[in-house]
Amino acid sequence: MSQLRRVLLLVAAAVLLTGCGSVVPDDFPADPDGTLDRVRSGGVLRVGASPRPGWVDVAGESPAGREPRLVTGFADHLAVDVEWTVAGEEELVRLLEDGEIDLAVGGFTDTNAWVDEVGLTRPYTEVEAAGTTGAHVMMVPMGENALMSELERWLDTQPSAGGRP
Amino acid sequence: MSRVDATRGPEGSEGAEGSGESGYRFGHTELPPAQADALRRAKRLEVVTFLYMLTCVTVVFATAGSSQAMKTAWVEDSLALVPPLAFLVAVRLGRRRPTADHPYGFHRATGVGHLTAAIALLSVGLLLAVDSAMGLVRGEHPPIGTVRLLGHTVWAGWLMVAAMVYTGIGPFVLGRMKLPLAEQLHDKVLYADADMQKADWMTAAGTIAGVLGIGIGLWWADSGAALLISLSIVRDGWTNLHYATTALMDERARTFDDERPHPLTRQVDQALANLSWVDDSRSRVRDQGHVFHVESFVRPLSGRTPTLDQLEAAADVLRELDWKVHDVAVVPVRDLPETIPDPG
Repeated sequence: MSQLRRVLLLVAAAVLLTGCGSVVPDDFPADPDGTLDRVRSGGVLRVGASPRPGWVDVAGESPAGREPRLVTGFADHLAVDVEWTVAGEEELVRLLEDGEIDLAVGGFTDTNAWVDEVGLTRPYTEVEAAGTTGAHVMMVPMGENALMSELERWLDTQPSAGGRP
Repeated sequence: MSRVDATRGPEGSEGAEGSGESGYRFGHTELPPAQADALRRAKRLEVVTFLYMLTCVTVVFATAGSSQAMKTAWVEDSLALVPPLAFLVAVRLGRRRPTADHPYGFHRATGVGHLTAAIALLSVGLLLAVDSAMGLVRGEHPPIGTVRLLGHTVWAGWLMVAAMVYTGIGPFVLGRMKLPLAEQLHDKVLYADADMQKADWMTAAGTIAGVLGIGIGLWWADSGAALLISLSIVRDGWTNLHYATTALMDERARTFDDERPHPLTRQVDQALANLSWVDDSRSRVRDQGHVFHVESFVRPLSGRTPTLDQLEAAADVLRELDWKVHDVAVVPVRDLPETIPDPG
């Protein structure tokens, strides 16, 4: 009997936990290092860009192209300004790890080599190139789940995020 | 001393269902109805467990994402398939009758199964311990983003929690159902499997706490919870490995949970001491897996040689102590063998 009661307790706890999904505050999940909060309160989204034809064009004064456009849209959504850093992929990963930028774009796909160092967003578009399908992602600091979730949610709402560049 | 079976003839190596009291047996040992029933239920439970854990592996694999804890849970659930399989194989083998090549029967299959299950359990614990400790030392911040589910964007953590509730409830219930059966059948594979199920539901509970911890911004919650739980699993795994090994090395029989020497190891000599012709005796009782092998060296009163009837009656007295006591040798001796220590 006590065995049954314990099982029921466990089930009840499970239901409660799942129920929390609808009542938890907006800042769930939270960032361990508070990146999203800092971006919002500081008014600046620090973004790294590495050049990639069709995705990121760094020839102009500030990066342009498909992904910079998305980044600007996301910054508008957060009501903050974008501060660009142009560098190579490896350098961007280091900057993310050191917490010196909040987001990196560069036509990255989900099969890139940095999966253990940085957080990759859920692929927001799939593009066929050279016979293989690339699922494109952006990079955020590892484990900054509030920022990552916010960005993924926003990308889901962008019709322009899908389709071909 | 298997004269009982000489009359039954060969009925196949599978243990001849349908003959005798319960129709179930381990080798030559007829199972009492209670044990036969327990065996039927245990086999059914282990098949259920195996299928359930297969679904768990699938569910966890589907929701694992990049959470290290979920990946570990996946490997662990895969290892949880080992004990049920070991049990089913060991029981199947253990029921075979002795052959010319296997004069003691196939009971030791249980010992091998116990060893296998113990190694699986210890592996789970060590894997979890190393993995979570490394995560803590490296300061890994687990990324848990969102998933698209039926047109909604949902935090993947909720899916993981749901998956862990599913994979936790089964082992919680099944493990508790197995413990009494393990005792009734004196089946240590079943006991080790119950320990494995405890490991499974504890890990599931720990992962739930860990994922929710990550949700409120504690990057170490997942690894921390896993590390704590792994310590208990390593201990269970080690205990099982220890006693599985020593049982194969003919340690004196212990209880199903290896808590203490089995009472039968003493009751054998006590029963013999009650016989009128016996002065003293010294016995070795080892666990072959389910059943015990008993060798009793008996010193008759005033050096008189017992009759065949007396010796056979003595063996019967021992067999009547417990269904597990079946393979019995009673040897009359002038002096108790000094090579066998007093059981104390």
